[in-house]
Parts: sequence; C-alpha cells; structure tokens
Amino acid sequence: MERVPVLKIGDILLVSIQIDMEDQVALQLQEDLAERIVATGVHGVIIDISALDIVDSFVGRTLATIASVSRVLDAETVVVGMRPAVAITLVELGLSLPGIRTALNVELGIAMLGSREDDGEPEDDEPDPVVVTES
Amino acid sequence: MTAEPLMRMRLRVEQDIFVVRQLGREVARTVGLESQDQTRMATALSEVGRVLLSLGRPAEVTFTVEAIGVPTLHVAMTHPARGEESRLAGQLQQVGRLVDTMEVDNGESGTVVRMARRLPAGAPRLTPERMDEIHAELARHVPGTPLDELAVQNQQLISALDEVRAQRDDLARLNAELEETNRGVMALYNQLSQELEETNRGVVALYAELDEKSAQLAAASEAKSRFLANVSHELRAPVTAIIGLGRLLTDSGSDELTTEQRRQVDLIRGSATDLLTLVNGLLDLAKAEAGRIEPTWSEVDLKAVFGQLRGTLRPLATRPEVDFTVEEPGLPTLRSDEVLLAQVLRNLLTNALKFTEAGSVRLSVRRIDDDAEFVVADTGYGIPPELQERIFEEFYQVPGSKPVSGKGTGLGLPYARRLAGILGGALRVDSTPGEGSTFTLRLPLAS
Repeated sequence: MERVPVLKIGDILLVSIQIDMEDQVALQLQEDLAERIVATGVHGVIIDISALDIVDSFVGRTLATIASVSRVLDAETVVVGMRPAVAITLVELGLSLPGIRTALNVELGIAMLGSREDDGEPEDDEPDPVVVTES
Repeated sequence: MTAEPLMRMRLRVEQDIFVVRQLGREVARTVGLESQDQTRMATALSEVGRVLLSLGRPAEVTFTVEAIGVPTLHVAMTHPARGEESRLAGQLQQVGRLVDTMEVDNGESGTVVRMARRLPAGAPRLTPERMDEIHAELARHVPGTPLDELAVQNQQLISALDEVRAQRDDLARLNAELEETNRGVMALYNQLSQELEETNRGVVALYAELDEKSAQLAAASEAKSRFLANVSHELRAPVTAIIGLGRLLTDSGSDELTTEQRRQVDLIRGSATDLLTLVNGLLDLAKAEAGRIEPTWSEVDLKAVFGQLRGTLRPLATRPEVDFTVEEPGLPTLRSDEVLLAQVLRNLLTNALKFTEAGSVRLSVRRIDDDAEFVVADTGYGIPPELQERIFEEFYQVPGSKPVSGKGTGLGLPYARRLAGILGGALRVDSTPGEGSTFTLRLPLAS
C-alpha cells in the first residue's frame, strides 16, 4: 500500500498529499503522523493538499481527527493549499473541519505556525479563517 | 435515460469507493463537465458510495449521458436493499446540493439513487462521433478494482502452476516408464545379439562344412564318371573280341565242333553279349553324366518314332497275356533330339515289358500347355512309394522284383532320366504296388 511521506523541517512536520488517498492510506497517515510527532517532539504540522481534488466526508473527518490528535500531542496542524473546487464542494456538502487551521500555501502555513510560537497561545487569538460550520 | 451506459462498475469493498470516485471524475471530465463539477460529481459519488456500502451487499454504479435536449450526465447507483429510500434520502440530503437533481426511489432491482448534472453550454457537442471518442477514452480505464484484477490473475497463476506441476509429474512418470522400457529393450537386444552371434557362428561353421562336403562330392562324382568311362571302354574291347571269336568258332567255315562244344560256345557268346550290353549302358551313362552328350536339335516326326518303337519292341513282347500298345501320337512333331528321345522311350518301354506279367503296356503322347507329355503305363508289379526315387539310382533294383523276361542291369532308368534332363525335360514315376506304374516324360515343344 502506498504511504504518504512525512518530512521533518526544523520544528515542523510537512506532509504533502500528492495522490487521491484511499481510506486505508488516510488512516495510515493518521497513525504515522502521530508516531512522528511523538518521536520528533515537533510543535507544528503542515498538511499540503494542493494536489488533492476530492475531499469527501471521510477524508475531511480524517483531517479533523489528525488535527485533534496533533493538538493533544502539543502540535498545531495547518492544512494548506486547498483547491477552490474542493473548498466549494466541502461547503456545499455541509462539512466543517473543526479545529483545523488553514493557510493558502506552505509558506504562509509555516509563517502561521511561527507566529503561534512567538505568541504562545495563538489558537485563541486567531480565529480560524476557513473553518466551516454545519450549515 | 435510455442511452447506452458509458460505464458500469460494482461497488463491493471500501477500496471500490476510491475507484468509483476516480472513475466518476474521469467520466465527468471526459463528457465535458468543468473542473468544479468534476470535483462535485466525484465527491457526491464518494459520499453516496459510502452510505450504500454501509448497508452491506454490493451496489451497481452506472454512468449514462443524455445527449438529447439539455446534455446531462446521469449516475444511477442501485442497491439491492428495499425500503431504504426514505432513510437514504435523509442521509443524502447534503449530497444533493452537489448535483442538479438527486432522487432516491425504489426501482425494479432495489433502491436506486439517481443523480444528474447538466453539461455546461461550452462543452463539446455530444455527436455520435464524440460519443465514440468518449467510449474509447473511458475504455482505457481499467474496469473493476485492481484487487479484483489481482485476485483473478492470482487464480489464473495458481491454476497455471497446478497444471504445470501436473504436467511435470506426468512427464516424470512417463520418463520413468520409458527408462524401464528402455532397459528391458536393451536387455532383450543384448540377449538377441548374443543369440544371433552364436547362430551366426554356427551357420558359418555349417557353411564351411557344406562347402567341404560339396567339394568332396564333386570330386567323388568326377572320379566315378572318369572311372566308368575308362573302365567301360577298356572292357568293351575284350568283350567284343570274345563275341567275335565265338562267332568264328561256330562259323560254318571253321572246324566242326561237337554238339556239346557248340552249346558251350553259344553260352559263351550269349554271356558276352549280355556283358557288352551292360558295358555299353555303363559307357552311355558315364558319357551323359560327364556332360559329353550334346543333343542334336531337329523337328522330330513322332509318328515315325512311334512306328519304329512299335516295330523294334514288338519282338520283346512275346507273352500273349501282355497287350503291348503304342498309340497314335497326339501331336505330329516335336523339336528335340530324335535319337535320344527314342532311347528314353525305348528304355521305359523295355523296362515296363520286363516287369509286366499280364495286362498291358501302353505308350501315348499328348500336348499339355507348351509341353509334350509321353506316358508309359504298365500293369506290372509296381513300386512302393518310398522306393520310387531310388529306382533312378544306378544299379538299384527294387528288392524282390523279378523280371518276367530277360534281366535288368539297373542302368536303364538312370540313363533315361539323364537323357530327359539333357533334352530339357523331366521324368517322374507314379506307381501303386500290385497295380502298375506310370512313367511320365515331359518335354518342351520348342527347344
């Protein structure tokens, strides 16, 4: 089975999803990521989904779970590079991605995580810009 | 909705959801939906697929494109479960927002989820040619899940392996059998060769022996012929002298002899004449055997020959009980040697007359195919079957047989057979003891 690579860059784990994930791959990624966070002790995770053009409820839920697990392990998750079509579809589908922060690209995502470290408790101050709530 | 389905696939396991959404996106792209709608269609498929799969049992997905009126992509997902439409409708409410229309109803084969999305105005027109293109493009996508493919391939591989194994076993068994047969054949071959070799040696030895024997025989025969020729010749002169002197003694011009003396001289002459006959016979036979007799071929007038035989042999047939008959020849002429032929027949007739006490002695000739067949039949003592060949040996006489008149030398028949051979024919005898004998001489009509 294919695996999504997890790269460590400084204090951040970078996950770039380049394929349409099967459910098993998504679940595997969730496990891998948790393990790497514990092993490396990083405080930030960036998930790049710019190559992903289908995000259905399962993938959305998986991303949310990853974010929650990471937070429990003291790491902030930022999902970057979501395509407009994906965003629209998510909204139409009525899916919210609770607890997930988003940025337009990797660069902005890194900046966002950097600012969090500077600020100490950024999640309270910065409201999630793309969080979708159940409509 | 009656149009030919673009694509069909079955939804069985979780992985199929992944495949069906990829396929859905591909179908949407191919028929001309925009990127956003491709994503919507794919996501909607994924969502509906998950809901249907959670009901258990496989679902059927069919993609159809409607070219008449407003071009529209239809997707129908059929699940065999019934009576689920209201619950499904509730669960899929949100999904309905991704497509233009969405209905859940109870179809013939179970619950059907129908979704439709209109194609944008800018999409390529769905002409029949375009439809063909779409079909061709989609056909390149592997139908079924990779897992199915793998399973099928695995199955094929396993059966192929089994077959190969079975064939190998068969081959091994066959080989073993062949080897055994080979060993058997080799053993047999060796044995046969040995036996053959042995037999060969025996045959070679036998041949050598035979060669030796035949050489000895030839030498012996040669010596005998030479002996007979020489001795006969040396014998003839004195015998002729005795006969001549005897005739002189009884000649009227010589001194008168007493009656007793005359009788003794006559006996001397008679014995000498007999001896001369014997010596002449021996000489003739020796000549024939030595191959010194050359036939003089000519047209033989059989009527004349038979006439002569009748005349010369009549005096011998002195007994009134014996009817001596020389029939009219059944054919006029024959190419042969007149002297030799007459000799043979005379010998046969003389022989017959000698051993026939009563009844008849007949000579006849007739044509059989390309041969002339002379038959000398008598009603004499006959010859036992086991002796019928021996009578053709020199000096052989059937034991116990007594000539009625005169006496035999045992040379007549051997000589006759020799001559028959020289004339290119054959002489044989058929006989029943007590009833008579039939000598048959067969000669070719043309030399």
